Amino acid sequence: MNSAIQTNIIRIIFVFLAQVLIFKQITFSLGGLAYIHFLIYPIAILLMPVKTSRPVLLVLAFIFGIALDMFYDSPGIHAAALVFTAYIRNIIIIFLEPFDGYNIDDVPTLKRMGTGWFVSYISVALLIHTFVYFSIEAFSFVFFFEIFLNTIFSFIVTFIFVLVLQFIFRTKY
Amino acid sequence: MYNVVQLFAKYGAHIMFVVLEIICFYLIINYNLVQKEIFLNSSNVYAAKIAQQQSKISQFSNLRNQNDSLMHENATLIENLITIEYSSDNIPEADSFYNQYSLIPASICNSTIHLRNNHFTLCKGSREGIKKDMGVISSYQGIIGIVRNVSENFSHVMSLLNSQTKISCSIKSRKGHGSLVWKTMDPLRMTLESIPKHEKIAVGDTVITSGYSTMFPRGILVGKIEKYVSIPGSNNYDITVKLFNDLTNIKYAYVIQNRLDTEQAKLEKEVVDE
Repeated sequence: MNSAIQTNIIRIIFVFLAQVLIFKQITFSLGGLAYIHFLIYPIAILLMPVKTSRPVLLVLAFIFGIALDMFYDSPGIHAAALVFTAYIRNIIIIFLEPFDGYNIDDVPTLKRMGTGWFVSYISVALLIHTFVYFSIEAFSFVFFFEIFLNTIFSFIVTFIFVLVLQFIFRTKY
Repeated sequence: MYNVVQLFAKYGAHIMFVVLEIICFYLIINYNLVQKEIFLNSSNVYAAKIAQQQSKISQFSNLRNQNDSLMHENATLIENLITIEYSSDNIPEADSFYNQYSLIPASICNSTIHLRNNHFTLCKGSREGIKKDMGVISSYQGIIGIVRNVSENFSHVMSLLNSQTKISCSIKSRKGHGSLVWKTMDPLRMTLESIPKHEKIAVGDTVITSGYSTMFPRGILVGKIEKYVSIPGSNNYDITVKLFNDLTNIKYAYVIQNRLDTEQAKLEKEVVDE
């Protein structure tokens, strides 16, 4: 269990640094209509052990989001989206529960849970997170078209990148 | 206290979620310019909508007062119209003539339409200056009837749609005059009698009050000629007039006050008595 906590702490720090140092700089314009953002940071929360209790997730998501917002100069936006994602994470996990249930030390990674389970879990969670993030950023559903485009394209690139990362870093926890 | 602890143990995560989101949105609204602007703007929009609804309601509760003031305004406008009708006469009149007619606005409390002899009841009576045999109109375009009986607060009006109605009318820009009576049971059509056959008339001519009685001033519009027949063996046309106003749904009326009616009636009575 100790190594699980260590792995998670290291992962959170690495994801944070990668997001603010590398992925923050990369944005593709899509004909002036929408922008592609790499929003890989939710995996810091999404890859934590299955049995992690909700309050822990929420507090971590809040701190992580606020720290991210300091670099993004947008107080509260990432934090709000990430807290929401942390809140619904357990609901998605319950929906995707296998027939024989989860083990006490299960982690929602590609290696442990299998490709089908991981793809459906990470795609639903990331899609919801991206949509919530762009909705809060626009702050009004007047911009529904922009929110929709941003969500779709950012989701696709982020999703592919997360899969690639999972194939590269085959961590035990 | 135990209950509070239990509540937190059960719903702590949800409460924490809500609290954290509230903190986040507080930060978003206070430290992000674009979001702050949208928030302020839309809250202004909703506040304006609520204020609009509130003013709608207060306007509705104010309708009676507004209606009264509009009635008074209408009364003065119709008085002016009557004055203009007389001032376009070829014969110049004395100045006093111009204020001969004044109008008393009143609302209708009760009415019958489908009887042979129909009546209206006005919600104003002798206290407001209404007297017997005054004319009642609904607008410049329509006669309603004649006051038959007055109490202190109410007056009883004989409707146009009454078998005893007989109002002196003429046809605009033609000669001759006749009397308007109600023979059909149709509340929109009346009959104009005693227009002699040697006068030229046409379908579509406007029928106006002649001003020969003390009840109605000249020139109040009554209706249009819908059709006419010349009855063999008679000197007169039989003219069907379609009324301008629909007497079946009238809510308000004006009573015409003629300041000189007693003088005129007295003079005419003297002649008859001789």
